[in-house]
Amino acid sequence: MSGDTPVLRVRGLQRRFGGLLAVSGVDLALPAGRVLGVIGPNGAGKSTLVNLISGHLKPTAGSVLIGDTDLTGARPWRIAHAGVARTFQIVKPFRGLTVADNVTVAVMFGPARIRSRARARREAERVLERVGLGGKGDLPPAELPVADARRLELAKALALRPRVLLLDEVLAGLRAAEIDPALRLIDELRGEGLTLLVIEHIVQAIAAVSDEILVLHHGAVLTQGPPDEVLGDARVIEAYLGHRYTRKNRS
Amino acid sequence: MSQFLQATVYGLLQGGLFALIAVGFSLVWGVMNVINLAHGAFVLVGAYLAFELNRRLGLDPFAAMVPVAAALFAAGYLVQRGLINLVVKAPIFITLLLTFGLNLLLVNGLILLYSGDYRSVTTGYAADGFALMAGVRVPVGRLLAAAVALLLTLALVAVMRRTRTGLAILATGMDRGAAQLMGIRARHVYALTFGLAAAMAGAAGAAVSAVGTFSPADAGRFTLFSFVAAVLGGLGNMYGALIGGMVLGLVEAWGGQLLPGTLVNAVAFAVLVIVLAVRPQGIAGRAFYSSRVEV
Amino acid sequence: MAEPSTAAPAETSAGPVRGRRPRLPAWWPWGGGILLVLGCLGLQSQLYTGQERTVTTVFMFVALAAAWNLIGGYTGYACFGQVGFFGLGAYTTVVLMVHAKLSFWVALPAAAVVAAVFAAVVGLPLLRLKGHYFAVATLGVAEGLRELVTNVPRWTGGGSGATIPSTGDRAITPWLGNDGFYLLFLGIAAVSAAVVALISRGRAGYALRAVNQDEDAAAAMGVNTTVAKTAAFAVSAALTGAAGAAYAFQQVTIYPQRLFDVDITVLMIVMVVLGGAGTVLGPILGAAGIAIASEYLRQHLPEAHDLTLGALIIIAVVLLPQGVVDFARDAARTRDLSLLSNVRRYRL
Repeated sequence: MSGDTPVLRVRGLQRRFGGLLAVSGVDLALPAGRVLGVIGPNGAGKSTLVNLISGHLKPTAGSVLIGDTDLTGARPWRIAHAGVARTFQIVKPFRGLTVADNVTVAVMFGPARIRSRARARREAERVLERVGLGGKGDLPPAELPVADARRLELAKALALRPRVLLLDEVLAGLRAAEIDPALRLIDELRGEGLTLLVIEHIVQAIAAVSDEILVLHHGAVLTQGPPDEVLGDARVIEAYLGHRYTRKNRS
Repeated sequence: MSQFLQATVYGLLQGGLFALIAVGFSLVWGVMNVINLAHGAFVLVGAYLAFELNRRLGLDPFAAMVPVAAALFAAGYLVQRGLINLVVKAPIFITLLLTFGLNLLLVNGLILLYSGDYRSVTTGYAADGFALMAGVRVPVGRLLAAAVALLLTLALVAVMRRTRTGLAILATGMDRGAAQLMGIRARHVYALTFGLAAAMAGAAGAAVSAVGTFSPADAGRFTLFSFVAAVLGGLGNMYGALIGGMVLGLVEAWGGQLLPGTLVNAVAFAVLVIVLAVRPQGIAGRAFYSSRVEV
Repeated sequence: MAEPSTAAPAETSAGPVRGRRPRLPAWWPWGGGILLVLGCLGLQSQLYTGQERTVTTVFMFVALAAAWNLIGGYTGYACFGQVGFFGLGAYTTVVLMVHAKLSFWVALPAAAVVAAVFAAVVGLPLLRLKGHYFAVATLGVAEGLRELVTNVPRWTGGGSGATIPSTGDRAITPWLGNDGFYLLFLGIAAVSAAVVALISRGRAGYALRAVNQDEDAAAAMGVNTTVAKTAAFAVSAALTGAAGAAYAFQQVTIYPQRLFDVDITVLMIVMVVLGGAGTVLGPILGAAGIAIASEYLRQHLPEAHDLTLGALIIIAVVLLPQGVVDFARDAARTRDLSLLSNVRRYRL
């Protein structure tokens, strides 16, 4: 695939919950090797956007294309097979399986469809090593600290060998020292040609790794552009901190 | 036409009784997420208590509702406190099995005490009736039972919405953890809930004893009616059991007119399965399952 | 089956997770299973007729519990209508043997297929329901089937029962006798346990456990959850239907009230839960334990049999909510034999 064709395209995406428009009219076009940071206040529709792309929610309007395939409203496993992996904001480990078996599920059922349990296991160990969970494969997920639980979430997504990776607040709850390695990993993945959509609350962290930042507010795109441009935008500050802060800042 | 009207009247009266049978079941399910498979057995215990009070003291079954409900409240409170609370956080089939064991215990206890024979309580008035119009007869006992059922259900809703205890129960049902943080003692509240449900079941049993015959073998049927009524009405709605009971009563009465043989027995199940498959939130309920992951 | 290797993962289940233990050789479950079957074959000559019938019943419940374990234990969908597949298998056999004059050996696999297809068809809409709602809906399906069977007497004999001709000239397949049914049910039990063991240790087992523990996450990992659930339901129904077919032939005359009795479903669940849901061995132990205890009570306490069974279920569920197999594993790991710590886990 040539570098200019977008790997992930979203057009006019909309999701309505009763009277609430959680996401409305979102357009995206991400080429390979690009990192898009998505920020916005609580309830802006960030997680809904991820759920719409990953197939965990069906859009009420609009379309989602992976490469040239229209996967609007497809079930999550079809989208996973098309090369889209995601993490969940509230981590969802399989509690009855060990850490390594958690990842093995993704290796076995992802696009690679490795049927041999032994080979799947080896692949899983490799992925665990990469995210920094080497040697913890035999633990039950319940015994992992927060940071490791997030790493497991990431490992399960990476084990799918995705083209597009949707990260829903993988940095949340991490200590400062734990954030840097995570950011380095994101950078590394971009270098390998992955397309990333990263949802984050920690604006500084995301600005450092994103090529562009998209600000969601009340489900709609408030603005999109290079990080420093977007973060200086008065509307963004207002959306985050409210009117009074903007005015005081200006004076 | 008059046959259809008669069926409708009968269905509505029967529906009222179904509602009273189901309301406690629905309460326990909604608040504690426990399916009480022994609910029908509690109804029967109420019926046999009313039968005993009538036989020994000559008490009218409708008057017997008060002591019967009180006795079952106490029993229900103890069962929850001493038994169901022990497994309330376990996976669902554990609570299902526990209440199934309780059902076996109660039903077979009743069989040992009273045999499997059908019993009834005779009153001077229950069999009387009056004509609503040409060809449509209303039996007094059933009318009374339906009226009492309606009143009790409305009273329960009022208790739940307006009293401190009721609000504590509702709050615990919505979020046990949060309720505990508010200082609500969940163990006690759950026991109160189960006690209330058992009391309603007991009252329903007394009403059942006044309008027809009953035997220990009816326990399963009563539990099933409660299931169907609760699902039909929807769990999120306080009036769910009432609506579900009425719908079930009507569907059965009409089905009895239209269908041959005992096929009418299948109607309740067919309605149940279709409602679950098509409109899982019930007729009046809020959605209890949805495709939402997290917003 | 994947090539067993040193990297083979620890046996896992829906229960508490255990780390990798020093493993027995990879063939031992199969070797152990074969030894068990051989033991049962040897046992047969040592039994009186009455005992032989009891053990035959135990085999039937081993098969039923193993079948329920697939959908209820591994996949986590508490099916309360499993007896519907049992009855469906039985009545398929009646219709095929009485009306189509087919041999039992044709009717048996046909019953399994009919039950599986039926499960797949009702499973597609109903497996979207979760928890209690699935339980209630499947209960409704089973009860509805019973009413249906009762109301087509031309085919099923209705409420007054149907008889499979099994002796003399009219018999299409001669009745197998106590010895024959002992072997038949032993075979069905062994096949059922082997199917569960294969699924449990293979790729499908991962899918079912993932669905059990988090369906959204499983779907995000590429697991086609609809196919996984429906297939588990269909296989579970096929095994149950086969047991029903054999039971119908063994009983000769069958009645809808008995063949669709919800108590049979509940027995399956009790056996699985008390033995260990989501394990291969658990349902076998549970079925044997409960069936033998039930038979003992029936002989020694005929009056209070059901009463005592009810009390035993209550006590067992409170003290052993995770089942014998998981309790034993945890106890071996933590050296904690106290049943009270079980109670503490789920107590409010």
